[in-house]
This record gives sequence, C-alpha cells and structure tokens, in this order.
Amino acid sequence: MKDFDAIVIGAGNGGLTAAATLQRGGLKTLLLERHNIPGGCATSFVRGPYEFEVALHQLSGMGTPDKPFILRKLFADLGIMDKVDFVEEPELYRMIIPGIIDITLPASVVGVARTLKQYFPKESRAIDDFLELCKFVTLESIMVLPRARKAVDKEMLRHQGKNFAKYGLKPAQQVFDEFFDDEMIKAVLGAYWGYLGLPLRELSFADMGALFYAYAEFKPYHVIGGSQALSNALLDSFLEAGGEMRFNCAVDKILTESSAVRAVRTEQGDEITCHTIVSNASSLHTYNELLDVSNRVELVREDFKSRRLGVSAFVIYLGLDCTPEQLGVTAATNFIVLTPDDEAVFRRAETLDEPLGCGFTCYNVDDPSFAPEGKSIASLICIQYGDVWKNVAPDDYVNTKYAFAEKLLDLAETVFPNIRSYIEEVEIATPLTMMRYLNTPGGAIYGFDQNRLDSSLFRERYKEIDGLYLAGAWSGMGGFQPTYQAGVSVANSIIRTQIYRDKANV
Amino acid sequence: MSDDVLSVIEGYDQALLDKAKLAAKGTDFTERKGEVAAIIGHLHPKRLSLRVIKVIEETVSTKTLRLEAVGGYLPPFQAGQYINLFVNIEGVNTSRPYAISSSPFERNYYDVTIRRVIEGFVSNYLLDQVHAGMCLQSTGPMGTFYYNPIFHGDDLIFLAGGSGIAPAMSIILDIIHQKRPVRFHLIYGSRNMDDIIFHRELKQLEAENDFLTVTRVISEPSMNYSGKKGFVSTELISELVGSLDDKMFYLCGPSNMYDFCLVELKNSGVPSRKIRVEMNGAPKLPEQLEGWPVGVLSKTIINVTVRGKGRFSAKVGEPLINSLERNGYFVENACRTGECSLCRIKVLSGNVFNAPQARIRFSDRQFGWCHACSAYPVEDIEILI
Repeated sequence: MKDFDAIVIGAGNGGLTAAATLQRGGLKTLLLERHNIPGGCATSFVRGPYEFEVALHQLSGMGTPDKPFILRKLFADLGIMDKVDFVEEPELYRMIIPGIIDITLPASVVGVARTLKQYFPKESRAIDDFLELCKFVTLESIMVLPRARKAVDKEMLRHQGKNFAKYGLKPAQQVFDEFFDDEMIKAVLGAYWGYLGLPLRELSFADMGALFYAYAEFKPYHVIGGSQALSNALLDSFLEAGGEMRFNCAVDKILTESSAVRAVRTEQGDEITCHTIVSNASSLHTYNELLDVSNRVELVREDFKSRRLGVSAFVIYLGLDCTPEQLGVTAATNFIVLTPDDEAVFRRAETLDEPLGCGFTCYNVDDPSFAPEGKSIASLICIQYGDVWKNVAPDDYVNTKYAFAEKLLDLAETVFPNIRSYIEEVEIATPLTMMRYLNTPGGAIYGFDQNRLDSSLFRERYKEIDGLYLAGAWSGMGGFQPTYQAGVSVANSIIRTQIYRDKANV
Repeated sequence: MSDDVLSVIEGYDQALLDKAKLAAKGTDFTERKGEVAAIIGHLHPKRLSLRVIKVIEETVSTKTLRLEAVGGYLPPFQAGQYINLFVNIEGVNTSRPYAISSSPFERNYYDVTIRRVIEGFVSNYLLDQVHAGMCLQSTGPMGTFYYNPIFHGDDLIFLAGGSGIAPAMSIILDIIHQKRPVRFHLIYGSRNMDDIIFHRELKQLEAENDFLTVTRVISEPSMNYSGKKGFVSTELISELVGSLDDKMFYLCGPSNMYDFCLVELKNSGVPSRKIRVEMNGAPKLPEQLEGWPVGVLSKTIINVTVRGKGRFSAKVGEPLINSLERNGYFVENACRTGECSLCRIKVLSGNVFNAPQARIRFSDRQFGWCHACSAYPVEDIEILI
C-alpha cells in the first residue's frame, strides 16, 4: 500500500492544476512546495500599502464569457471561476520608440487592422493578409495538426493545414519580411517577442503568430488580487477535493526501483511512497538533481543536449504615489524600445549594459483597485540571462543590482518622466531572485530557450522512468496559459493510465 | 525522432538537422549540478549556524553579541537588515529578529545589539544566558528597512529610540565606507544618559564625519541634564533640521515612539513615501487597535485545533505564533511583525483578528490565510499548518 497515488513536486502553475485535476479525478494526491505559498511565479508580495503582481502581465487563453476559450473552460472545470475575478483589458499594448513612433493597439483583430492602417497606409493589404495568416496558422495548429498526427495522415495536414505546413516552422522574422517592407510595422507587430524570450529570427512563426492572434482575438486579462488569487483558488480547489498540501517541504530525492518511481524523500528526511510523481520543478532539477538514478536516463540527457538555457528577467516593482494619468500612462501594457531592431535589444540580455528595450505594465490604467486611491503599481521589466550574474561576487551583488536598476529606470523615464520622484516602495528582482524563488538554473522563467526546435513537434515525453512526469515550462511552452494547460493535460493522461491499470487488475 | 506526417511542414527536415547540430555542441547540464544551491546559498541562505565570539556590554540594559559563521561564510546584507535568532528556552523553540548593528563591510562577523525588554522572554535569555562560545541558529539577513539609493535621496533623518539605534549604526558605517553623498541626522531618544547605546562610538563618528549629525533626546533626564529632552516631536525635528520637505525619515524604536513619531510626521504633511519604518514586534495590546471585535476580551481562553496534529488552549490577546511555539508547533517565521509573510497559515474555521500592521495579501485574506505572528484567535479556531 503506497502512501499516495500521486505526489506533485512544486505548487507552481503546472503543479497546482496537475494536483487539483488528479485529486478531483479520484487519485489520492500530495502536493509538496518548498516555499510557504503556492504559485511559483504566479504570486505577489506586499510592501507598505501595495501588493505587487510578480509575474503575470497579460493572461491569454481566457476568451470572453460569450466567446470562451480554453483557459476559461479549464478554470471552470477546476471549480474556480466563481472564486476569482478577471479583468478584460481593452488594449494589447502601447509600443513606443521615443521620437519615432507611439502607437496603441486595441485588443481586437479588427481594431488592430484599423489602427495599423492609419499608421502604415501603404501596408494596408499586407496587414489584412498577415492577420488572416496568423488566424489560420493558429487555428490549424489547434484543430488540424493534432488530428493529423494522431491519424498519421499526411494529406490531412497538407490540405486542411496548408498555412501551418507552409509557415508554421519558418522563423517569424522571415514571415514578417515576406509580408512587410516597413521595418517599423514589423517592430510594432513583433513587440510581444519578449513574452517568448527570443528575437523574431529565432522564434517559429507558429509561436509568434499564435501568441499575437490569441491575444487579439481572445483578449488579454488580468486578475483581481493578481495571479496569487489564481494560485490560492487552485490550491483551494485541491484542498476542497481532499488533497493534502505541505509547505516549506522541499523534495530532496526521487526514489526509484527498477526504473519506476517508488517514493520521494523530503528535506526533512521523510520518505513518502507513491505510484506516480508529477514534477513541476525544472526538468534539469528533476533529472539531474532529484532523481536517484540520474545517470541512467540516457534519452533524457540526449534531449537536454539540444536545448539551451532560457532567459530570466530583471524586474523593478514600483509602488508609485501618483495616478497613471499623472505619469502619462494610458495603456496597461507598454513596450519601450530605443530601436526597431529586436536583435539589438535582445543582445543586451546577455550583458549588464544599458537595456535598449523594456516592458512597463501598470494595471491601474484599467483597474484602479490595483493600488490604494491615488496610487499606482507598475512593473518595469527587461529580459536578461542569468549567466550575466554568475560572475558577480556576492559582495558586489547589491550595488550591481542598483546600478542596473538605474539604467532600466532611465530607459523607462524616456517615456514616463520622473518615475523616481513618485516612488513610495520599490523592490528589485534580478535573475538571481528568480533563481531563488523558482529554483531554476540561470533563474530561467520560461524554461529552455523557446526557439523553433523547443516545440513539441520535436520533443517527446520522457519515459525512461515509469511513473515520472513533468508539468511546466520545461516540458512545453512557458508562460501562464501553457503551464496551466500542461498540468491538466499530464494529470488527465495519468488518470487515464490509472483507469487502464485498475481495469487490468480487476 | 522521425514523424512522417510532420515532414509535410516546410522546414521540418531541416529543423531536425539543426536539432542534431545543436545536440552535437550541447550539454546535458550535469556541469551545472548544485549551481543554483551554491549561488543562492551565498546570497540568501535559509539558515545560518552562528557562534558567539564576544559579548560586549554596551549599557546596563544592553549587550552586543558578536557572531561568526560556524562554517566560515556569512552572506552579505544591506545596512539596516536583520537576522531572526532561533533559541530554545525552557524547552520552547522560538525566535526574535534583531537588526545587525555592524557594518555590511565587516565580513567576518555580525553584531546584534540587544536591549532588555522588561519581562521579555527572549531578550532576558540572550542577555543573561548566552556567552562566548555558544552556538545559535538564525535566518539569513532579511528585511526591507535599509537605505535605497534608487529613491531615498541625500537628506536622511533617522529617528531612533532605544535599541532602534542598531540599524542606524550599520547604515552610518555603510555611508562612510561607500562614501555615499548624503547628509545623515540621527535623532536618538533614550530614557536617560546611562541608557544611550553606542554613546562613545557615535561621538567619535560625529567628530570624524561631516555628513553626520547626532542629537540625543532624553525622556527622563536627571536634574543637571541640559540637552534635548522629552519626546521626538515634529517641533523638535523642525528645530533641528529645518524644513521637513525633501527629506527621507527612518523610524526605528519601541512601538510607543513609533506611534507618536509617525502621527507627528504625517500631521506635518510628510508624505508616506518619505517615511520608512521598521516595526517592532506584534502589538502588545491588540484590544486597543482599530477593528478589534467589540466585547472580546484579550484574557479570554479559546481552543486552537491544528488539523491532523492536535489541540491546545490559548489566550485571545496573544499572537498565535507564540502559543503555537509554546505547544511545540513550529511555523517558519522571520520578522514577527506581520510583514515578511513566512508564518502564513490557513484558518479553516473560526476567526482571527489580524493586526492592522500585518501585510496580508488580498487573496490570502479572501481564502482565509493569516500571518500567525500578528493574528489573534478571537474564538475557537481550526488551522492548517
């Protein structure tokens, strides 16, 4: 008799949805978390009168109540829709290249087309064609690709998925170049590349096009109380179903027997037995550090070799004693870049030099409740690789952090002057902060580099250890929607396996 | 991996070749084994093993414990931060946070400066029972009360009371070492002349450093005392520093001083973004706080059930973490003032009163989580820890 049917390691997005799905699916499940709070990235912290959203910028995949999309259904299935309040955002983003362009894209496909045509009338035809392509590539990737793979039907993919087949794996930059002449419109349409962590040249068009189209069609959202509210609601769903949760309980080892999981050993030294383990820790931590037979998983090692460690981020959380209007902030999501060249912006992520681009998110624009009256919260972010910080001596860490923060603030102040004079609370997170709280190598926030080879088209689930599953950014796409989905998906496949096993035993 | 269907996709076969190329030059990341733990361990270790190497008598009521790392390595900290010292007193495991009073550039030891609290459970133990050679556990350095060059400006006024001088001392030493371009005025309230901690050191530092001004304020002066006396009012502050505009105020001291000074500063129009405060423990008299339920007496005894673990009785007016610890339950914690949230626990049934100073997340409130260090059980409760 095992202690649990399933043990989930880590209460990040994927861990929470996996645990809730498993427990609600009838498996006796234990959820272990090394910190004192659920959520991983999806968390918040309080300083003075401000509560800071740590990681969520724009939640994708919800869809509207009239036109629900995949995440709304997922949350409904887990019973949390009446426990969390979502706020629809009217804009995708405001993109600013100081002195060159300042454009705000509304959150609708029609609105995007209309706005872009005002700014780039010569590209009118290409704008329509491009948005149409984004739509078809997205829909075909969801509706056709999985069916064609399952049926092993080349013709289905060739005909019903022709846009995906032609464009899906092309570098996003190549497709942008094919459609547009004006570098500026490419920069505007490509502004979301930071959400994927690589420049357009390295991203597949399937990823970039789907990201853009999904936000425009199904709207970006944020959450009252921040993503922590989602994490708390998911944990509640798990606990209400009878799940057991332990905080401040890191897993030290995954113990196996004949290449099948047997138990976990916690940092306190407890051995807890189970049939199945879902690890929401990074794949690197799971296989290289936790697994007791880490030298006996050759296929996993081989897969790691074609991966590259992904980006982390440098974030300044600002509690501001002013309204968004006072600061000149008119959209919740802002991208400020000094050049339309995303490669140049990206290359700074490998250095501590002045950043050339940043994101500036201020939810108070659409939702005054996000800070006390008359005040605002903003998060100022640029992507950065953790290895930049590897050679900073611990004694130099704080001053290095402040020095880079000043550079990032200088960049933001080119558009929103005098941010500094309104600061009431500030907290700075470096890639090492991400590393501390996420326990990921390099403080990576989206898992491995999400280049076109990171796609599930080229990756299979690791199967060398029976009963060991991964759920999170390291075995699929990073970000909120994909990790929530990953947890549910892996849990459902475990439940199905369990049903077969039970039937076989009868 | 070869998936025949996918070869229909343009660029798929090329991508497979690219993947093989990546793999040829790639790594299985085993060389990074232990890297995360090592980096974080040097910056933010969860626990430190410390040895007392010296006990320095500061005043009749105050001592400094000089602590070195048993393993030889102390993480860096920002001047003003604290460590939470774990102790076992008469079989009870508990802890108290103490600000580090030594310079952040003194990398061989941390000084913590401890003033006796009348009837204090831990301060009396540390002052009377701890001697050189003893070992203690602590958290790593923590806290948000420090000089932040991003927005604190160059005109700093530190209002300290009693042992609230400890972080001020570290901040002064940091300013000297880093040659920070600031002016620093320390206004330090003590009960009497014998109670001034770091009296001699401060005099010397003031003489050696132009940026530093120290004003002592005595609340219970002797007959022949001729300096500043009474409480640290804005009248007094204005007299000492002139206009209150564009200055950053730091407050650290006993709660009565904190309450008084905070109201004084706010009434004088100092915006909250110009005031940094370090709170000092949970409220001692919660029934006097705003929002305390009418008719509930702090001396009432209630039952606390810890789901799956046991049950004990506790006093309404005592922070939950204290009764938990007395009954043998451990909850991770650090600041013990409601700020850091490490002692976050879930209330399954019954109500607790959360001290207004507790920094509880919006959704934690919604889902019944509280901070055990600043939550008072106002009726029978069941909790999950």
